[in-house]
Amino acid sequence: MPLLLYFNTMTMAEEKNLTEQESLQLITEMIHKVKGSFHESGTSAILWGSVVGFCGLFSFVKAHFDFSTGWFDVWFLTLIAIVPQVIISIKESRQRKILTYEESAMNAVWLVFGISIFALAFYNNVVPGVSENFYAKDGIELLQRNKATGEISAFHPFIFSASSIFLILYAIPTLVTGLARKFKPMIIGGIICYLLFIVSCFVSFQYDMLLQGIAGIINWLIPGLILRNMFLKGKAC
Amino acid sequence: MFKELDPILHSQLRLAVMSLLIAVKEAEFTFIREKTNSTAGNLSVQIQKLKDAGYVDVVKQFKDNYPLTTCKITKKGINAFEDYVKALQQYLQVGK
Repeated sequence: MPLLLYFNTMTMAEEKNLTEQESLQLITEMIHKVKGSFHESGTSAILWGSVVGFCGLFSFVKAHFDFSTGWFDVWFLTLIAIVPQVIISIKESRQRKILTYEESAMNAVWLVFGISIFALAFYNNVVPGVSENFYAKDGIELLQRNKATGEISAFHPFIFSASSIFLILYAIPTLVTGLARKFKPMIIGGIICYLLFIVSCFVSFQYDMLLQGIAGIINWLIPGLILRNMFLKGKAC
Repeated sequence: MFKELDPILHSQLRLAVMSLLIAVKEAEFTFIREKTNSTAGNLSVQIQKLKDAGYVDVVKQFKDNYPLTTCKITKKGINAFEDYVKALQQYLQVGK
């Protein structure tokens, strides 16, 4: 296309009168140039995929072999991972020369997801105790009876299959990102995550942890590695 | 009746800058210079004209002790760009 070649090679050093066709051609070319200018590095996805994957698998192994890590809950690693995430975000924003509307929207989605995950963890830890207190105020004590021995003991409420809700939440930003960017690994990851959620409704806590680990790997680690590979190839071009 | 083409936009480099900025939320000066293949001096002059017309916002700051200029299109700039494209389409339809 000679006109396109002309625009690509010229230096816009001076004012030039444009024909209507040239104007439209220039607009199209510039918008096209922007489209190829942003590449997701995949670093954040790799970080969170690794952390959630490790925490889930470790929790499964811990429950399976029934050993203790004392006061340390492996899921605290997700809190620690915020530090490198902040460093990655600052570094990437410094390297970034443009901010697209899509990227801005995706950042908002993942930020809200991060807040929601910690809000859900807070809910899971706080609501059972608060519920128990509300019942106690009304003079109600929750009890459980062992059908085999007939023994009656205090029942402390908890959120049933809480990790299933986490799996729903994991799927949301992953699928949104995959669909918005037409990035198949994340679309597949998000769909699998919903399937894992269904499975998690029917299995014990121990296997919920295994599903969480799998979700972290399929949702973020694998797509992150694919993104990283694409990013490095893009840079090499 | 033909709409007159906006003289601020009907210029090669200024139109290129606006076409880039319409597609992004914000862009650094160096990115615009690279994509438009223009010289820093000329680009500064043309961006200043767009700024004076109220079509772009320019933020100057420092990053790692180096000056960093970021540009973003304004609401007025978006409207002007849309009007310009509509006017172009009118001209092209008549030319067919």
